[in-house]
This record gives sequence, C-alpha cells and structure tokens, in this order.
Amino acid sequence: MKLSIEGVSKQYRGGVWALRDFSLELQPGVLGLLGPNGAGKTTLMSILATITRATDGHVLWNDKDLARNPDAIRGVLGYLPQDFGVYPNLNAVEFLEYLAAVKGLDAATSRRRIDELLSLVNLGDVRKRPLGGFSGGMKQRIGIAQALLNDPQLLIVDEPTAGLDPEERVRFRNLLSELSGERVIILSTHIVSDVEATATDIALISSGTLIAHAAPEVLLQQVEGKVWEGIVPSNEFQALKQQYLISGTARRADGVHVRMLASRAPTGAQPQAPTLEDAYLYCLNSHRVGAAA
Amino acid sequence: MNARVLYHLVRADFLERVRRYSFLVTLAFAVYLGYCAVTGKVVVKLDDYRGVYNSAWVGALMTLVATLFLTLFGFYIVKGSIQRDQETRVGRILATTPMSKSFYTVAKMISNFAVLGSMVGVMALAAIAMQWLKAEDPHVHLWPLLSPLVIFALPAVSFTGALAILFETIPGLRGGVGNVIYFFIWTALLVAPGSSIDKGQGVSTSVYFRDFTGIVSIMGQMQQDLKAIAPDYKNGAELTIGNQAAGKRFLWNGLRPTPALYLSRLASLAAAIAIALIAALFFHRFDPAHEWSLKTKTKKAPPQVRSIPTNGEAISLSPPPSSAPIHLTPMPHPSNSGAAVLARTVLAELKLMLKGHPWWWYAVAAGLFIASLASPLNNVRGGVAIAAILWPILVWSQMGTRESRFNTASLIFSSERSLVRQLPAVWIAGVIVAALTNGGLAIRLLIARDHPALLAWLACTLFIPSLALALGIWSGTSKVFEAVYTVWWYVGPAHFTPGLDFLGASPVSARSGLYLFITAGLVVAGYVGRRAKLAYV
Repeated sequence: MKLSIEGVSKQYRGGVWALRDFSLELQPGVLGLLGPNGAGKTTLMSILATITRATDGHVLWNDKDLARNPDAIRGVLGYLPQDFGVYPNLNAVEFLEYLAAVKGLDAATSRRRIDELLSLVNLGDVRKRPLGGFSGGMKQRIGIAQALLNDPQLLIVDEPTAGLDPEERVRFRNLLSELSGERVIILSTHIVSDVEATATDIALISSGTLIAHAAPEVLLQQVEGKVWEGIVPSNEFQALKQQYLISGTARRADGVHVRMLASRAPTGAQPQAPTLEDAYLYCLNSHRVGAAA
Repeated sequence: MNARVLYHLVRADFLERVRRYSFLVTLAFAVYLGYCAVTGKVVVKLDDYRGVYNSAWVGALMTLVATLFLTLFGFYIVKGSIQRDQETRVGRILATTPMSKSFYTVAKMISNFAVLGSMVGVMALAAIAMQWLKAEDPHVHLWPLLSPLVIFALPAVSFTGALAILFETIPGLRGGVGNVIYFFIWTALLVAPGSSIDKGQGVSTSVYFRDFTGIVSIMGQMQQDLKAIAPDYKNGAELTIGNQAAGKRFLWNGLRPTPALYLSRLASLAAAIAIALIAALFFHRFDPAHEWSLKTKTKKAPPQVRSIPTNGEAISLSPPPSSAPIHLTPMPHPSNSGAAVLARTVLAELKLMLKGHPWWWYAVAAGLFIASLASPLNNVRGGVAIAAILWPILVWSQMGTRESRFNTASLIFSSERSLVRQLPAVWIAGVIVAALTNGGLAIRLLIARDHPALLAWLACTLFIPSLALALGIWSGTSKVFEAVYTVWWYVGPAHFTPGLDFLGASPVSARSGLYLFITAGLVVAGYVGRRAKLAYV
C-alpha cells in the first residue's frame, strides 16, 4: 500500500500557484499535513481525492497513475472535505445509505456498518433525525462517518476537527489512531495538537511547497535547545516580540510569561522542552527567512 | 442608516452578481434579442404595416423586447439575492448591524433594479448600434430612441425586482413554487390592460396604470398614429417571433407622452418601493430558526444537569471517549454487478427526490393519477395529464443541481464511477417520477391501444427529466428549468401548440419523433456537462 505524489503542481486561473513541485511518498500510517492558511493543503487534498486535476506531476496509488485510472483510488478512498453539505430532508441513516449506494457498496454490509459508524461518531441517538436540524459539529461527524463507509485504504481528512467540541475532538483523535494500522491516512490541519496526538509522520507545507517531511521526533530534535521561557514586564513585551520568535504567552501576576525560540538563551530565560508547535513555528520561520533571503 | 450605507449595500450586491458568468450569458441573450428585433426576427406588425426603422421605432421595439424578456426572465435572474446572503452567512453579519429590515429589503430591491437596469442600459447601447447597422434611417436621435426604455423598461424592471424580493421573503414563495407562480402572475399582469389593442380603442388613462410592461401603451399609440394616416388599417397589432415581414411601412415619430403616462410609470416605481417595504414585514432578518423549515421540529430531551461537588468530594470521571477498541464490519470492495449497483443507486436517488415534500404534494399527485384513470380519455389527455406533468416540476428541477446546491459534489464526485453510475441513476429516477405521476394516461392509452399517443407519452416521459438534467447541470441552478419548463408547458401542451407540445396533448400537436430526438440531444448535453465538471472521468 503506497501513495506517491511526484512533482505535483497546481495553478489556478489568474496565474496563482497553489502547489509547486510537491513530492511525497506515503506508506500506511497517519501523515499530519500542517501548514498555515492558504498553504495549499486543501488543493493537495482535492487532487488526491480526484476532485481537481494537477497542472503538472503525477499521483500514484500502488504505482497506478491517478490520471489514467482514477477509479483505482476512488474505490479505496474515504474523503472528508473541509467544506461539504448534507441533504437536509434525509436523516443520518438515509444519507449514509445514499452515499453507500453511490459508492457501489453492498447493501446488507453497509447497513450494518452504518449503524456501527453512527455509534462510533456518537450519533446513534439522533440517527433518525433529519440532517437539516443538525448542528455544525454533528454534520462534521456525519462527514467522518461517510468517509469511513467503504473501509477505506486511503483516508483523507481535511480539517476534520473543525467545529467539534473538545470531547468529540478527543474521540476523533482516538479513532484515527485506532484506524491507522493498515491504511494511509492524511490528516490536513492547522491545529498542531491534532497532529501531535495522532500523526506518525508530519509534512509541513507553506506557499505550496513542501518544507519538511519527517517523523515528529525528528522535527522536535531540530528545536532541541532552542526553546526558552522568560518573564518580562508587560511594557517590555513588544520589544521582545521584535527580537525573538514567540511561540506562546501567558499574562500572570508577575508579568508576561513568554515562550520563545532562539539559538542562544535570551537574558533571564530558562530552557524548555520543545513541543511540536515550537517545531512547526521554527520550520515555518526558517523557510520564510530562507525564502526572503 | 444613510445614503452611503445604502450605496455600499447595493454596490456590493450588484458587483457580486454582475461578475458572475450567468450574468454575462443573460446579457448576451438580451443583446441577441435586441438584434433579433432589429433584424426582423422579432417584429411588431400592425396588420401588414411596420414602422420605418428610425430611432423612435427601434427604441420602441427594443423596449417591447426588453420589458417582455426582463420582466419574465429578469425575475429568475435577480431572485436569490437574500438567499445568497443567507447561504454565504453574510446575512448574519448584516443582521447584527443597526440596519432595519425595510432598509435591507429596499436596498435589495434597488440592487435588483441595478442589475436589470444595467441590462436595459446595454440594450439601449445595442439599439443605437442596431439602428446604425440597419441603416434604414441612419440618423440617430437619442431621445426618441432611449425615452421608451427609460419611461417603460426601467419602471417595469424595478417592479419585477421588487416582486423578486417579496417572493424571497415569503416562505411559501421562496423556492420553486414561487418560480412557477410568478409565471402565472406575470401572465395575469400582461393581460391586465385588457383588449384595447385588439379593438384599436387607443390608450385610456386606466390602461396606462394597468399596463405594467408598457406593451399596450406603446402599441396603442402606434395604432392611433397609423390609423390617422392609413385608412386601410384594421386595428391588427402583434409582436411576433419569426420572419414575418410586413409588406408596408409607415413613419412613426415616437411616443407622445401624456401626464397620465408619466404618472402611471411613476406609480410603477412607487409600487416597487411599496412592495419592497411590504417584503420587510415578512423578512426574518436571517434568524437561524427560520433558515430551515419547521419540518425538523423534534422533541429534545431535557438537558442533564450535573452538579459539581464543592466539598472536596472526588469527581468520578467517565473513561475517555472511544477508548474501547473499534469494531467495524469489514466492507468488501464493491463486487455487485453493474446492474445491481445501478438499481440501488436509482432507488437511492428516487428516495432523495421524493423525500421531504408535504403530505398534500403526494395527495395531489395521487389524485391526478386517479383522475387520469377515472376521467374520459380525451379529458385526461387534454386536461388532467397536462396538470400531471407540471406537478412534479420541483422534483425535476433538483436534477443536476442538487450536488452544488447542497454542497455534496466533493462527496459524490470522489466516488467510483460517478459519471456512469450516479448520473444515469438521477436520470432514471427522474424518468420514473415522470412515468409515475403521468402513469394514469399511459394505462388509459394502453387499454385504448392508441399507439401514436403512447409514443408521445413515452417521448414526454423521457424528455422532461432530460431537459431538467441538462439545464440543471449546465446552469447549476434549478431556476432555469423552473422558468423554461413553465413557459414551455404553458405555450406548448397547455395550448396544444404544434411543435411545442411535448406531451402530445392533442393528436394534432403531438411531435413524438421530434421530442425523442431532442431528448437524445439533452441526454448527451447533460453527460457532456457533467463530464466537464469532473476532474477525472
């Protein structure tokens, strides 16, 4: 089971490049695709989900080219788009049955699986309620259920935890971890904590290009010894922001507790254990500085 | 709220709409109609007379075309501006501002007017170009050319724009039902001035006030002027499509505006504002409680309140969600035969089409079916069946548009073989709806062994969903089918017009072969349209 993305580029009308020469090879596991807004994550997801065509490059699923054989990927694909709708007059079961039919799934098996999926996403109690009355978070959970309908080998989830409450977010993270064994999962998000909890691999994307692809530990090693925390009076905080890359702040009675990234210790700051968020900010900043230079 | 706020509200709405591809298509069609008017494909004939193509005649002709086209199709073009604010959630932002409901509806009415008025403007420019190209009278006089458009077309489109706002704010008229009803209201407004043209009675003050499009007012004045110079003129007046050249020409010097005429047009503008203000009474100000119909009312379980211990007692925590291993039924890769999968998809599409209608929708459909079985065959073919093929219009109008309307395209189009499985399933489901709702007629024709009529029934059953699917896919909106089909139904089957009667409501007007041919073309158009929307086939 292998997904290869080879030199994929995408240019939209008006000459805007959303992706440029993006290459990546994925094996079973969870890939956390991290990047700021507008980095090209959704474009990449859409290309992999056969919704849009790459301007250049190839996507191969088990060495089969998606351009020549899109159904090879569609048959094993579970896709949760960032923005999707539901049919308001159908209830949860009917909607999933509809999509199961469209996906060509066996009726009896899919019926059993729909029941299980609805319980899994905690919608068992409202399975007969029309979707038009669902909240945003409930619709998102329906989206998660439909993505898992066909027991996908390739699961692409684009900002899946958007709109979920903290409990549902934890539930979803656990679900992804459980599912990750024998499938390729791509989790696109800008929420670092989602990736931290589930990803076996991380790809950082910015301005349509891949800036890092590594295991979380490797990314963390990059910022080892570069994370510091210090306390500054409120009136000195602005000046500090100009000097260092800030990854977190908290206002307390004794001043502003600032978490910052620097090669050498800022005056009075104490070393801290790095987090993935520190690593993410460090990589993005290094890329920006490099690009500007 | 002040003029600046109004300006920006109207401007943003106007720009949002005129930058859409559909606006350019409509504009191009409007200009084409103008071209048809000046090149003789659309003509005003007064018996065997027509006017010399001077500025006055070209202006009047362009005005007749503009008001007819824009008061009917303009409604469908501009309707949806409040819905768009709701769908984009911009409305919720607007709802939190101090803007009053009446301010909003009037601003929307002005925005509608601006959109339709810009079309009138383009047609005015086209009129100048057309007169010059026609060269029957190359001297362009601006006031005679443009004044009919200003006096008649602009108030007419303002009235249409206001009605669109009113329809959008009234729950029952907001959707497809409103689109169908508007056509009948438009027809009623068109005939409201009465038959003064047929009788050549001239234009009375009351006619000016009842004539919302201005057609009777303009043609009435033409009649009076011709009568004064042509004794052989017998009061005939028609606006027709097709190459029906008039044998004689006369010089028409243009409108003779009277105070009553000006007052009537000002009254149209005032009525438009009044309608926009009435719309404010129904406007819900984007209250989410009104955004989805009350059909979803469900009994909610009372919230469970858990008290938080404050006396140091330990809080017992439930285990983290989904900590237990997940057991999901393995799903084999689709192995059903193509026909079985297609059948399941057809059933799913059919369920989707027929779900969510009020109970009386099914009752009327059943009533029409029973009436088809119980009434004399001639009455069925020329009456009940005509009603039966209009009743499911809102079911068909969802075909090809549902995926974009409900934003499910990415879910469906990323599925395996969606082009050869889901698209045909939609079409077959539409055909089944047509066959079911008009099935009574088929049974009667089978019993009567009327094979030509049965072929016409079949052609109709295949044609309607094919038209819906093709228009839905290419336009992306249900409104186009709702407007085109209603007009076609009214002109064709309802009036037994040969060539346009796709039902074959009478043996004389039936054209089975033609409609089977058109159906094939529409099916191909639908397929090509959907194929173009998919990144990969």
